[in-house]
Amino acid sequence: MIRKLTVALFVAFFAVFTGAARAAGAPAEIKIGTLYAASGAFAAISMPVHQGLKLWVDQKNAEGGVFVKPYNKKIPIKLIAYDDQSNTATAATLYNQLITQDKVDILVADSGSPLTSVAVPIAREHKMLLIDQTGTGAAFFSKDNPYIVLMADPVSSIWPKYVADFLTQDGPKLGIKRIAILYATNDFTGTQANAVRGFIKAAKAPVEIVYDQGVPTTTTSYTVIINNIRAANPDAVITLGFPNNDISYLRNLQDSGVKFKWQFNIYPGLETEGLKKTVGVKGLEYIFTYVPSSVIEYKPEFGMSLPQFRDAWHKKYTDDKVEFGFNSVAGYTTGLVLENALKATESMDQLALRKAIFGLSGKLKTIDGTFELDETGAQIGEITPLGQIVPDGKGGLKFVVVYPHEAASGKPVYPAK
Amino acid sequence: MLEYALIAGLVFGLYFCLVGLGLNLVFGVMRIVNLAHGDFLMLGAFGAFWLFNLVGLNPVGTAFLVFAVFTALGLPLYYLLVPRLQRAKDPEMLSIILFFGLSQVIEALATIVFGPSERSIPGRVFGTGPVHILGQSLPAAWVVSAIASGVAVLFIYVYLYRTRLGYLTRAVMVHREEALATGIDVDRVSAIAFGIGLALAAIAGVFAPFMLGSVNPSMGVDINIQSFAVIVVGSLGNPLGTILGGIVYGISLTFMQTYFSSWANLLPYVLLIFILLVRPSGLLGREVRSA
Repeated sequence: MIRKLTVALFVAFFAVFTGAARAAGAPAEIKIGTLYAASGAFAAISMPVHQGLKLWVDQKNAEGGVFVKPYNKKIPIKLIAYDDQSNTATAATLYNQLITQDKVDILVADSGSPLTSVAVPIAREHKMLLIDQTGTGAAFFSKDNPYIVLMADPVSSIWPKYVADFLTQDGPKLGIKRIAILYATNDFTGTQANAVRGFIKAAKAPVEIVYDQGVPTTTTSYTVIINNIRAANPDAVITLGFPNNDISYLRNLQDSGVKFKWQFNIYPGLETEGLKKTVGVKGLEYIFTYVPSSVIEYKPEFGMSLPQFRDAWHKKYTDDKVEFGFNSVAGYTTGLVLENALKATESMDQLALRKAIFGLSGKLKTIDGTFELDETGAQIGEITPLGQIVPDGKGGLKFVVVYPHEAASGKPVYPAK
Repeated sequence: MLEYALIAGLVFGLYFCLVGLGLNLVFGVMRIVNLAHGDFLMLGAFGAFWLFNLVGLNPVGTAFLVFAVFTALGLPLYYLLVPRLQRAKDPEMLSIILFFGLSQVIEALATIVFGPSERSIPGRVFGTGPVHILGQSLPAAWVVSAIASGVAVLFIYVYLYRTRLGYLTRAVMVHREEALATGIDVDRVSAIAFGIGLALAAIAGVFAPFMLGSVNPSMGVDINIQSFAVIVVGSLGNPLGTILGGIVYGISLTFMQTYFSSWANLLPYVLLIFILLVRPSGLLGREVRSA
């Protein structure tokens, strides 16, 4: 009995001692380094993501920090964030600064593919895992680069899968035979254009692409282009651009009196509130779009639900200068993934963090859907269904999911009224 | 497609006359490069946005209001910045640095005040449905903006060629020192021209939400590049040359969008390089301006 007690005491002492030793070696804070664009072309997509991440950081710090397994304790987070002003050259300098001067523990990319693109080689060179929030360009991900993981958007090459599937499978039954594709020439939308083109051709459906043109991302006037698309007489028009592109396109479409029978744009779904204010409710009626996590209420198994997050957002950001939407959900999701990874990682080594994040793949269900990675670190979960925005009968708008059929909440209105 | 590109380019180009007009007037009179031109345009755009949202003021009414406000704003700003520049050895070069700084300050303040999001005004304020010109349908807002540009050009013409102040202004444009020697109050004349230049930029801003889709605090840099292309093509320092510059720019842009859409953003730079190589004085420029 005494012998057993002695062994038990020894084990208990050892456990407490090693635990205390680990805690004593713990840093005072976990440094997360990131960039945001407070101004410039990408500010509208960057600031919601940054504020979403910041909301998570502030929430965790209010709880005493985030639990970090290697130190067996909660540690406060220090968010080191610099403004890259939407400039890729500035962003490259600042990413280097975060790694070499600030020596951050975790490197988080700015939002969107253009500002993430410069971080990919820098992170790889410094053997830092790049926490890629919404940089979905397919070229970022390769089997020989273990230093990148995509958090909160599916990789661009699978975004338009449901769009193409709808057009090639349901489209011919509705009378859709001629498709026009207009895209902004950047990683995000260029990859989607390549993907949708590939899906349509591979389907060997009785549809043909009758217009396929790229425009610079800086394009602000679409009236002539809309007229050129109309001249091609398409049954469906897929327009892939950033928010500023979609705003200009949809306004020009409305003002020029042209009505396409089937019109798809990305951002009416992703940044609905912002587009309601700029394009107007009328200009968004019957537009097909992605139905993102800021609209569909996924049942999260970790973190806040959509209504809770929306409330927390509006409580924290009362000035309404940055719109709530899909990108704000993306920033918050990044935080949730990091929280789970820190809880599971064996050490703060970058590849150990990667392993911990990969361990969440297929298991973590958040406000953004199911987090799932392929072997390159590209996000293949969180895929957004195809929906149509229709009048709600009260002067507002509502989303109808039209594809895939198992998720559909209604039938598409075709041709658009 | 060709006819549409031509007519749309003409109308779009008329708007770009207005965008470049103020910049060219300021350069013509003061020989300073106002790199904050695009930011004053942005301020005009946000002025229109807020006045529409707060009191429902129609942008045409806002155009008159911003003309008065920005002309008045330009006078003290001129006396604060320009006379000191003119005393420097190389005012042109220094003006680039100074107004670049001013541009950064305006953009930063605007981002703080307005936020980075895109803003716009509904196109329906100018009526629903397109306007038909020579069998082609154009947005009503484009036609209104082109008319506003025409009125602004007419105003500048009357101001420069039909008023005593205009004669004095042209005298300063031809030779600042000689104008000073003949007793012209060069600073007063220049200050008014500076104020009118800013006001024209702000009026262009009022119509920007309709012509450019939306506005944001960072739009100034792109506007500056387009404005420089317009005024260099027309004739640097000759405000009325801006009309030709704008039309050439507008038609070239719509043709690029029709036939080489992926390369359309190269247009301002291609036009600038082409004109500087082939006819550095611009299409309406003289060999020796100050003769």
